Parts: sequence; C-alpha cells; structure tokens
Amino acid sequence: MIQIRNIVQSYGREHVLDNISLDIKENAITALIGANGAGKSTLLGVASRLLPVISGEVLLDNINIKSIKTREVAKQIAVLKQTQSLSLKVTINELVEFGRFPHCGGRLKAEDREKIEESIRFMKLNDIRDKFIDELSGGQRQRAFIAMILAQDTKYIFLDEPLNNLDIKYSVEMMHIIRKLVRRLNKTVVVVLHDINFASAYADYIVAMKDGKIINQGSVKEIVCCDVLNNVFDHDFNIIEHDNRRVCLYYGHNSHRHGENSHIHEENKHCAKLTNSTNQQDVLSHDSTREDLKTNKNKMQEFFKFKYFADKFKSKKAASNSNAKKFS
Amino acid sequence: MKYTTFKIKRLVIIVIFAALFIVSLLIGAVKDVTIKNLLTGNELAWQIIWVSRLPRTLAVILAAAGLSVAGLIMQAISRNKFMSPSTAGATNAAGLGIIIAFILLSTQSGIIQTLFAFFFSLISTLLFTSVINHLKVRDAVYIPLIGMMYGGLISAITTLIAYRFDVMQMLQTINNGTFAKIGNFTMIYVILIPLVLAILFSSKFSIIGLGEDFSKNLGLNYNRVVFLGLVIIALVSAASYTAVGPLPFVGLIIPNMTSTFYGDNIKKTITDLMFFGADFVLLCDIISRLVIFPFEMSVSLTISIFGGIIFMIYIIIGVKRSKQTKIKKNHIISTNDKEPQVTHD
Repeated sequence: MIQIRNIVQSYGREHVLDNISLDIKENAITALIGANGAGKSTLLGVASRLLPVISGEVLLDNINIKSIKTREVAKQIAVLKQTQSLSLKVTINELVEFGRFPHCGGRLKAEDREKIEESIRFMKLNDIRDKFIDELSGGQRQRAFIAMILAQDTKYIFLDEPLNNLDIKYSVEMMHIIRKLVRRLNKTVVVVLHDINFASAYADYIVAMKDGKIINQGSVKEIVCCDVLNNVFDHDFNIIEHDNRRVCLYYGHNSHRHGENSHIHEENKHCAKLTNSTNQQDVLSHDSTREDLKTNKNKMQEFFKFKYFADKFKSKKAASNSNAKKFS
Repeated sequence: MKYTTFKIKRLVIIVIFAALFIVSLLIGAVKDVTIKNLLTGNELAWQIIWVSRLPRTLAVILAAAGLSVAGLIMQAISRNKFMSPSTAGATNAAGLGIIIAFILLSTQSGIIQTLFAFFFSLISTLLFTSVINHLKVRDAVYIPLIGMMYGGLISAITTLIAYRFDVMQMLQTINNGTFAKIGNFTMIYVILIPLVLAILFSSKFSIIGLGEDFSKNLGLNYNRVVFLGLVIIALVSAASYTAVGPLPFVGLIIPNMTSTFYGDNIKKTITDLMFFGADFVLLCDIISRLVIFPFEMSVSLTISIFGGIIFMIYIIIGVKRSKQTKIKKNHIISTNDKEPQVTHD
C-alpha cells in the first residue's frame, strides 16, 4: 500500500506540490487529472521516488520509501516517464530484459527468461521482438515499454501521460491494456491523463489537482461533473451521459446549451443504436461533432478556423494535413 | 536483429582482427621476420617479435580498445552520440597532468605520469559533467561544442605553463600520437583495468544510456555508476596519453560505428566494440608504417584522415535521418499505420 503524507516539493521559490496527502487505492486505476503545471507529473515522480521531496514522506507498506534500498523499491514500483529516449538502437527483447534488472542485476536466470517471455506474449510483441525501438510506431513503442515494466514484475505501476503522441486508436488500445493489467494481473496503476474523457471512461478513481494541491478526489461519478471540472480546469464543461459513462464536451461556447442536454442525450442513444458499434469513444466523439455542426454550425466553423491557425503555427505539414482532412 | 546475423558480424570482425594482428607483426624494417622464418624457429625473427613487434601491436590494440570503450561510456553517460573523451576535455586534461608531473618531479616514470594524468583527467571530466548537468543543455550539438571549447581552454593553459617553465619540447613530444616509442609501452597495460571494469559493469552502462529516470526506475544507483564510468574514462585517457599520446576520433567514431552495426545494448556489444576499435587502429597503424617504408609517420595523422572522413559521413547521415524522422513522425500522426491490433477483453 502506498500512502503519500504531507508532501511539499518546489522548484525554486514556487511550491509545485503543496502539502499533499493521498492514499493510493489498491488494485484499481487511479487517474491524476488537472491543468498543465498543476503538479501531476511531479506528484507521480515523488510517489515513485524519482524526485526527492522537501518535506513529507511516501510510505510503501508503512515504511518510508527513502529507507528502503532502491533495488527493493524497483521490485515494488515501476514508473514510466514520457522522456524515454527514442533514438537508441535497442531491440524490444533487450528492452524487456532490462526490466528484470532489479531482480537479477543483469545476469538472467531461468525464471527471468520465463517472465520476459510472459510479458512479451502478454503485450503481443512476439512477432516484432527483434526490432529496434527506434523503428517502431508510437503505439508499438509504448507497448514495448509497458512490456518492460511488466517484466519488472511490480505491484504498482505509475504511468506519466502514456497517451502522449498516440492517435485515437492506439490511445484506446493503451487504456484497454492498462485496464487488463489491473483486472487480470491485479496491478495497481496510477496514470497521469490529459484527456478527461479517457479518465472518465477507464479510471476507477480520479484525483483532481490544481496549483499543487489535490482539490477533489473520488469515483468517476463524483469527479466528472460540471461543478468540479469547471473548477479544476478553469473552463466551462458540458457533460453528457451515455450508457452510464460520462463524456465531457469542452470545446468552448457550450455553456448556453445546458438546456439541450437531454436532447443530445436522446440523439446520441439513437445514433449508437444505428451504428451498433462497440467502440463508444469513437461513436460519441463522432456524434457530438455532428450534433454540434447541426445546431451550432457557425461556432464549430470558428473553432475549426482557430484550430487551423493554431496548427499552422505548430507545423506547416501538420496544418496542411488537418486542413485537407477537415474540409474534404 | 536476428541472432545469426549478429554472430556472423562478430565472426567477421574477429577474423579481420586476427589477420591485421599477424600483418602488424610482420611489418617492419628487419626483413628476416617472415612467416617461414617464424615457423622454422629463426631465433632473430622471434626475438624481434617479442621485443619490438608484439609490444607495439599490443599497445595499438589496448589503446584502441580502451579509447573505444571510454567513448562508448562517455556517450552512454551523456546520451549524446557526439561525445568522447576528446570532446569533454579528458584527453587535454591528461596532457596537462603529464606536463605538471614533469615540471614538479622532472622524472619520466610512467606510473607517476599516468597517476597525474588520471587525477587531472578525472577532476576535469567531473567538473565538465556537473557543469553540463547544471546548465541543463539539452541540445545534442551544444554539449560537445562546449566540451571542445573547454578542452581548448585546458590545452591553452597547458601551453602557457609549458612556455613559462620552458618545457615546450616535452609538450610537443607527448602531443604526438605514435606507436613508434619502443619499450615505453608499459603504461598501456594499465588500460586492462578499465577494460575489465567496463565489461563487468556493462549491463549497468546499457541502462544508464537509457536515461536517469529509466535507471532510477530499475533501482540503479545512477550517480555511482556515472562516477564509475568517469573513472574508467579518466584511466583510459591517462594511460593511453602517457603511452602513445592522443589518438583523435577513435573514441568518437568507433562507438558510433558499433552502434550502427550491432546496436546500443552495451552489454552485448562491448567486446565487439573493442575488436572493432582495434581493427580500425591496427589498419591505420599498418598504413602509416607502409606509406614511407621503412620510415613511418605518426599514426594520429592517419587516424585523423580516415576518422575525419568517417565522422563527416556520420554527421551527414545524422542530419538526413533527423529530417526523415521528422517527416515520418508527421506521417504517423496524420495517418493510421497498419499494424496488427491487440485484441481487448
């Protein structure tokens, strides 16, 4: 069991984490949400002993994590940051072998090899296990790193924005994998998520952070509601419910349409039946876009226009692509 | 990479090594050293092999293997493919150490010289890495640039001291990388220590190469392994500088070429890297002995020519590849690539 007690952490004068206490729920997915700079990644780093703290302590099974040998902690807690180096010529197989380091110190024994095989099979990487990680697509690479963490065989898995740079298909795939880790392998996962909808759809428990403090925590039902999220993100949210799942529309200018919620809800149900798809994430985002276009065409056009210019600034290439896609 | 192709590559490099080793033993001013004479047990031929040729060839192999390993570890620690002992001031500091040893003690004892060189080299690399860590420079090209300026500064100080104490001739002698100093190779055997250390800790260096967070996640004492790496680098720089002088480019291009041919898993590739480095320097040494036979030119000259060309190629490839990956990344973001999907429960 991991308990975080009165953690304070700061870069320079500014407190990044301000007296944070949190008990991590066992055998569940805990999602850390919040705006940029709210301290989510820092909290994850502190809880996984990658970052030192100014005051406070992290308890692993009631023992201060600082007093445990780092090799022993590595058998209990695995953490995957988003700063992985991508240009190294290391094969998936070798990467997964690294995961056994805390157990074997570099000399693989029979049980280590067994664990490596298991993780590679679990992540369905057997066909590409001899490929270098710099040859992989974003989704494959993320799976390879998860396989490494599986080989590390820890109870706790901390993931820092695992959906970064993944498109919708791989993001959904990654969240399914994370859920499988919890349900099938009884892991405890803490994950920093940017997209509130992924947290809403897959997390068991959500911790909302703002300005270095935890301002709300609870189940999806408790957190994913307008009042809480408006406060967390300083933004107007519009939340619709579908099949007992809540989906947030946060694309702006929606506040005046609260009254139409029930209408959208009905419409969505209808569409879901029509398409008869199992992938809710897909259907919902698709439908809500269509709905918006129908009822609020001008607003959406404005949004696309804005997005178009934003993209254009980011990269000419990306802009031309999205442009072609959106208007074709 | 398939295991069999890896094995073939390893075999090729060892066969080339054996061939160059024999050729290196057979080249020299004395015409009596031929395979036929050696096989028939000609005493003079064997004596020349033992006294002159073998120490020289061993010096070449050890210096090359050592510098390659030092470069590899430097690149793993800094996670920068353009780093090497010579682009981090380690080599220059070793030179400074030797000059100061000469001024203070005026003895030529190899051990004292190597100790001074090691000490200066270690302090210099420690200083450099800690400054780089504090500056938080992330751009891959800036770090070796800063390192080269830093090395230039140390060299300038060395020259200044040499002028002040009137030991410029000494400085010129040690700054000339050559394997032609007969019988002065004892210090090169010191390189065996860092070589063994590097092999023993190779799996830790592979993990270090993947980053600090990555290493800490796996329960590795990051700072301790980095310090060990710096000790290895300093030992190699000191011993090779004392024995043969600076050999440019070896620590830079050999790890890069090994990475291209064998990958970046240091644990797996470290012996291949040593053979590879030895092959390269043996070849350069043989060439520099043949060009103006029976005289020879400085091996650092030959290495500079070949190394410079190879390094240029690497820079060009690197620039091209970074352009390609940018295009590829955009491609991945904009289109769904085909790949077997993981089935969900």
